[in-house]
Amino acid sequence: MEQHSDTFLDNASEALKNSGQAERRDRIALFASQIRTAAIDSFEGFDDLRHHVKKIRQHSLDNLDYYLSQFEKEAVHNGNQVHFARDSEEFNSLVLDICQQHDARRIAKGKSIVTEETGLNSFLQSAGLNVIETDLGEYIIQQAGETPSHIVSPALHKSANEIRELFQQKHDLGHRELQKTSDLVAEARNVLREHFLQAEVGVIGANALIAENGYSMLVTNEGNGDLCANLPKVLIICTTIDRVLPRAEDATAMSRLLARSATGQPHSCYTSFYSGPRREGEIDGPLETHFVLLDNERSNILSSDYREILECIRCGACLNHCPIYTSVGGHAYGSAYSGPIGSVLTPLLTSLEQSHLLPNACTSCGRCAEVCPANIPLPDLLRDLRHEEGIKKLSAPRWRYGLKLHSWLARHPSIYQTLTATSIRILHRLGRKRGGFSRLPFASGWTSQRDFPAPQENTFMQLYKAKMKQNNER
Amino acid sequence: MSGSARSEIFSRLREASRGETEENIQRERLSLGTAPAPTPLAPENCQAFILNVLKNQGSVDCVSNRSEAVKAIAHYLYAHFHNYRLVAGNDPRLAAMPWRDAGVLPRFGRLEAGEPVALSFARLGVVETGAVITWTSKANPAANNFLPEHHIVLVDKNDLVPTMEKAWERINHALETTGRPRGINFIAGPSSTADIEGELVYGAHGPHRWHVVLLGDIPVDAQNIARAASKDQS
Repeated sequence: MEQHSDTFLDNASEALKNSGQAERRDRIALFASQIRTAAIDSFEGFDDLRHHVKKIRQHSLDNLDYYLSQFEKEAVHNGNQVHFARDSEEFNSLVLDICQQHDARRIAKGKSIVTEETGLNSFLQSAGLNVIETDLGEYIIQQAGETPSHIVSPALHKSANEIRELFQQKHDLGHRELQKTSDLVAEARNVLREHFLQAEVGVIGANALIAENGYSMLVTNEGNGDLCANLPKVLIICTTIDRVLPRAEDATAMSRLLARSATGQPHSCYTSFYSGPRREGEIDGPLETHFVLLDNERSNILSSDYREILECIRCGACLNHCPIYTSVGGHAYGSAYSGPIGSVLTPLLTSLEQSHLLPNACTSCGRCAEVCPANIPLPDLLRDLRHEEGIKKLSAPRWRYGLKLHSWLARHPSIYQTLTATSIRILHRLGRKRGGFSRLPFASGWTSQRDFPAPQENTFMQLYKAKMKQNNER
Repeated sequence: MSGSARSEIFSRLREASRGETEENIQRERLSLGTAPAPTPLAPENCQAFILNVLKNQGSVDCVSNRSEAVKAIAHYLYAHFHNYRLVAGNDPRLAAMPWRDAGVLPRFGRLEAGEPVALSFARLGVVETGAVITWTSKANPAANNFLPEHHIVLVDKNDLVPTMEKAWERINHALETTGRPRGINFIAGPSSTADIEGELVYGAHGPHRWHVVLLGDIPVDAQNIARAASKDQS
């Protein structure tokens, strides 16, 4: 998709004005966090599982050349054609070539964040193909001409009313009002069922590739991916080179983490493994199957200090627990990947120059690292990117000079303590009557939304020293 | 294009790789062992499987033989459709069922438009997740699993495995003799979505309802759980 991460601050300010969306995000964030906690609490060995899958992922990435090559060999043995793409452009061209070889006009597509990354839909559409997203959330935003705002729930930002109005505009509803959510789902089901039956090519993503047997694993609740994989005559499985795991049991072990972290379920409704065209005697299934595997900087990330980001299992837990994401939503990030994972991955997939604002979309609260099922140290990676941003002088001069000043003060504790003690005393005296400030110089960002509480008379260090002195005198 | 892309990508991967021998890589993977699985919901397999099927919003019948299985399916069909019609894959195990005992009229083949019910015979049932496992073949058209309004699945008690790891052991063993199918499906409930304001709705694309018929010598406690749930659901 088109990147506009360079306008993150404006996008975020704009998003904060939409109180309806903010309220929905607040609700979902609260709900998602509760159901995740409940799912994990009921699995006694969850941390052991996390640790085990981490080791498997590390082992796979340490030997990615071996496992990817093994996967390719087995996938070809199963009757697939396997293609490699260095970048988005090559990836999109490969998919278009396959569609054109079959004179395909209609494409049924399952949810695939990789194809969002490459902008596959618009590429195929500009070549005259009719591409329909079949995951309900993806379908809704495609009809609205928008991009996903969450990697698991792409239409999280839309209310049921907005979706009803959208269907009224786009579908021939007659007198049907679609009052209930189930009516909206049934409407999309009917429209999409036709498309599934008519599409010549199905495109799906993959949560994992299995080296030992050449299968892909796809996890969904709707089953749309399975219809894309089984009904059209040609199947294209789109994913990235870093998704390979050694064994089938490693993929299902990962699925234990995925469902619990993403939706709080012990497992998803459909966990499906695909490899190859229909076998002899079969009466349905694709006649031709392809894997299109994208690199797009991942082989470079593998050699970098950021390689742990490739261990991400795309559950969205870091988004649901991030105070920045839940405040401004996914669109503000201007990238296919949003939230903490997006703030690390987007600069690595594009460039820090284009996306350096994203690693700053962080309060360093650490919740993302706490909930990440892949144990990725997201706050550390974000800090490292900010450090690089500083070295490259990409941030605004006032930020850089401010940080330099702070750094100097932090290295001169006596001056730091004198200055903070003086300013705290002044603020205490000025604010003690009202108990807070409705306006403060250099802090308008804070005071425009809420009062700044007047501090107590002494700093922590003053209180600490006094306490120590008291203890020593006893 | 793909050829040069392939060699370029692999060359970069080799640079980043530890460059271990195949033997060492396999040895290291072996040393990492097996993933921990969740504690079963009940100590006995049938009971835990049924509890998970119910948690997955499925319904369950327990039957002790094939004749009872046919009767249970007939009862289900009549309760929901007031007829005895369904579609079943060309599975010899399904063809051998005594359908006439309960007047059920199966059509063997692939589900077509307008046919609301399909029956599959699961290869395995996973106690850990309450999932049934099927794989594509001429005996099991994929459409029968994903397109009907109601999906009924027969599971033999002897095909229950405690965990997904044990399921793969059995699948890998079966695949060695029959060859690899193009699709292996772990199905755990009716199709669902929460994409509109987080509200859970069943029947997003595939089946609205998912009914499991567990066949074999099922312990009484497990039967009681299924019976109590069946009363609640009706």
